[in-house]
Amino acid sequence: MSKRRGIGRVTLALAIVLVLVIAGFSYALFSFSQQAPSPTIVQTQTIVTTISQIPTTIVQTVTTPQITTMVQTVVTTPGPQVKNPNTLVIATIGDVESLDPAWAYDTASAEAIFNVYEPLIFFKIDPSLPAEKRGLTGEFEPRLATEWVWDDPRTVRFKIRENVVFHCGDTLTPEDVEYSFERAMVQDRDGGPVWLLLEPLLGVSSTRDDEGNIAVSFDDIDKAVEVDGQWVVFHLAHEFPPTAFLQIIAQSWGSIVSKEWAIEQGDWPGTAETWQQYNNPETPPLQNKMCGTGPFKLESWEPGVQYVLVRNDNYWRPPAKLERVIVKVVDEWTTRKFMLLSGDADMVVVPRQFVPELEGTACEGLTSTCPTGIRFVKDLPSLSVDAFFFTLDISTDSEYIGSGQLDGNGIPPNFFEDPDLRKAFAYAFDYETYIKDAWLGEAIRPCSPIVQGLAFFDPQAKCYTFNLDLAREHFQKAWNGQVWEKGFQLVLLYNTGNVARQTAAEIIKKNVESINPKFKIEVRNVDWPVFLRSMIQRKLPIFFIGWLADYPDPHNFYQPFFHSSGTFAQWQGYSNPQVDELIETAAKSTDPAERQRIYRQLDSIYYEEAISIPIDQPSGRHYERDWVQGWHYNPIYPGTYFYTIWKGY
Amino acid sequence: MSGDLRSYIIRRLLMVIPVLFGVSILIFSVVQLFNPIERAALFIRSEREAANVEGIIRKYGLDQPIHIQYFTWLSEVLRGNLGWSKVVSKPVLDALVTFLPATAELTLYAAPITILLGIYLGKKAAVHKDKAIDHATRTLAIIGWSMPTFWLAIMLLAIFYGYFGGLFPPDRLSVEASIYVQSGKFIRYTGINTIDALLNGQLWIFVDALRHLVLPTLTLVVVQVALLMRVMRSSMLEALGQGYVVAARAKGLDLKTVIDKHAGRNAMIPVATLSGLLVSGMLSGVVITETVFNYKGVGWWFVRAASQLDIPSVLGFSIFAAVLFVITNLVVDLLYAYIDPRIRLT
Repeated sequence: MSKRRGIGRVTLALAIVLVLVIAGFSYALFSFSQQAPSPTIVQTQTIVTTISQIPTTIVQTVTTPQITTMVQTVVTTPGPQVKNPNTLVIATIGDVESLDPAWAYDTASAEAIFNVYEPLIFFKIDPSLPAEKRGLTGEFEPRLATEWVWDDPRTVRFKIRENVVFHCGDTLTPEDVEYSFERAMVQDRDGGPVWLLLEPLLGVSSTRDDEGNIAVSFDDIDKAVEVDGQWVVFHLAHEFPPTAFLQIIAQSWGSIVSKEWAIEQGDWPGTAETWQQYNNPETPPLQNKMCGTGPFKLESWEPGVQYVLVRNDNYWRPPAKLERVIVKVVDEWTTRKFMLLSGDADMVVVPRQFVPELEGTACEGLTSTCPTGIRFVKDLPSLSVDAFFFTLDISTDSEYIGSGQLDGNGIPPNFFEDPDLRKAFAYAFDYETYIKDAWLGEAIRPCSPIVQGLAFFDPQAKCYTFNLDLAREHFQKAWNGQVWEKGFQLVLLYNTGNVARQTAAEIIKKNVESINPKFKIEVRNVDWPVFLRSMIQRKLPIFFIGWLADYPDPHNFYQPFFHSSGTFAQWQGYSNPQVDELIETAAKSTDPAERQRIYRQLDSIYYEEAISIPIDQPSGRHYERDWVQGWHYNPIYPGTYFYTIWKGY
Repeated sequence: MSGDLRSYIIRRLLMVIPVLFGVSILIFSVVQLFNPIERAALFIRSEREAANVEGIIRKYGLDQPIHIQYFTWLSEVLRGNLGWSKVVSKPVLDALVTFLPATAELTLYAAPITILLGIYLGKKAAVHKDKAIDHATRTLAIIGWSMPTFWLAIMLLAIFYGYFGGLFPPDRLSVEASIYVQSGKFIRYTGINTIDALLNGQLWIFVDALRHLVLPTLTLVVVQVALLMRVMRSSMLEALGQGYVVAARAKGLDLKTVIDKHAGRNAMIPVATLSGLLVSGMLSGVVITETVFNYKGVGWWFVRAASQLDIPSVLGFSIFAAVLFVITNLVVDLLYAYIDPRIRLT
């Protein structure tokens, strides 16, 4: 037998052939797939646009919309390089939870809902403004209502648009509107959005008491919304700021569903006898199906994977320019990035930490084309705020307070009851460095829960600044000097993956420990469930959390932050009757001057109390291929409004 | 099929029942280590949903004693309801049916290539022990085995999708193909795109699906083939050192026959075991590959469910995985008897 040396000739030849075959196969596959049927390219489209002008006064007695119609010819001539010219593809990270407008309380679900369903009125879109400012938050334009009238501060009526057809074929009636709002209140799931409707309409935040028993009568629900001919009348439980009410019903939970269709799907039949059976369901009957009146219809929804919307050609306004929208959930950033670079995705979500990866690849500004085909706009204002909160009454069995005593090895449960200590921490936080590190400089520093963009925002509101000398002074005064003398030890928790909270915790640790070597802070990360549980059970001495506007009114921020029944204040164990009264009065006032005065007063108390310290109001970025046209931004939108978008150059 | 064999298969399949009980009780017990609020976190995706956590706990019975929770779940399972998968907002059974085809398709291509390549390379390396080809394959095996899957997948994506202008894209289908598949013109027989495309006579969709399969398949093959190759090599080396191989060669049988028929067949037993594990492992999900290539399969679903404490999903998946492992092991045992007729299944 001859002795073989190295790789045999046959094997070598086989290897070369294999490589050639793979290369050829790859080329063949690529070339062949290019021959796949491609969608027809629309060359020219004539679009009729209706522009509505709505009076902007806050309290309206009679609103008569002046409708002007103009014919605008938009020539969309997508060149051969525009991928999928009639289909918008978005690669995102948010996963739709439910397609039922009464159930959905997350932005991903609401994005699908507000493109398929429609509310009575919508936030005004002003085409004369730049794309990033085009969506207004305090002015409205008609949708399924043609006009609306405030009879008195507790009664508002909407005239329902005629000749509007639902995707499933039913014609819109005032009864559908009444049913939609009553159905939402009947459903009112735990942790859902319906409290936003219940507060102004029934004066309660839930249809159930603390034990889970029904606490309202059907009569209350029935009388809150009534049909009067072609009009639907809303009876408010108490006076409520009119703009705030309109802001609430202009969102996804104010969507109008077809009564007949909903009942066919097994939803509440609209009767008093059975309503309790439909309260707080485990899964709503409209969970995965939609029948709206909007510019797009649901074609398919694969939870966790994607949803597809197709154009509603029978829309009561001119049909949308896009034929189809595909919103894909793509968890991995690198995959999303390559999808955008290759043009397979028209828009992608870019988390803050990955922004540098697109430096030099994307051009700033939405008005021009870019050699790389990708452009972005930054500094999009958000209506959200992050803050750190002090727990005044920490649970004694907390594992994050060391010995539980002021002996240098822990902290007592009431450690943060002393305002000097809270102020010391506020002065020890380096706000500028935090915004630079955690948000790459793309955030602003809010001073109170009334963030920029909300009514009654005070640019002069008092703010804590980074000042270690003042921090030292307050530490020395705290607990009559005992804190300074004995020192303390505590644990700061953040939920894994939240880079901003991690940065904030590390900044606190570094600065506070630098003031006195007896101060010791440990930064620890835990998963979201543990973080949430620890926060709710008052185990965290300090917790980091954020708030995103449900509707752009100061009440929606001061209530959770400062009212004793507010979500965060409850977790902190904070209660101040004077503050509660001010918040409640402002919430019910229809007088803007009075509201402004109260909110200024609340800002002042909030600063003095230093019960929580706002640290950032992030601004966002939007990335898109430069063939995408017509995108616009509104900070209160849950996502992209597809109706105004088309593709082409 | 003989009566013995039939009763053997039935006995093995019946084993799945105690396995399922064991698995479900174990999972329920482990879950009780988590506080009800932690389990309620599944239903709270943002701060604003956290306002009424007590209501959520009450509604889903998260504070009920373990035996009540278990029997509630069991009674539903016996009625054919595996529960609601919160993480993908659909019934557990639907979720399984939705995500299994993607994983099955990936396995359909990756498993045979991995097994055949592993056997071939292992055999080659053993026959050419300590020669260049042996060193080369062993080095490749070490590189493949030690390469982090995540890194490899990202690199492949960067090269073949990013650099080569979308040659092998992620996802399961391109936009044009998925629009066509969603239309009424395309009938979904199996959920496996390549098979459905052929059954519908749409060659371009078959090619499109194949393009999307290249990178995830390659990733799996590179990572998995190493182990199989190493086992095949050592098993083959052991077989080649046996007296019957020397005897066969001494009798004048040609080398190829001795390697393939005598040594090769005997060396296959451990490889068959490993292949079974490999197939069932792939079928029960390859999380990283599925995530990077946005190829949403059961592995992606399970990890999402487990990380969010979505108990019905975890239990549903575990039932699926247990059944899968029992069946795969059964198939492997049957293969033993085929490979080595001396083995009797009783």
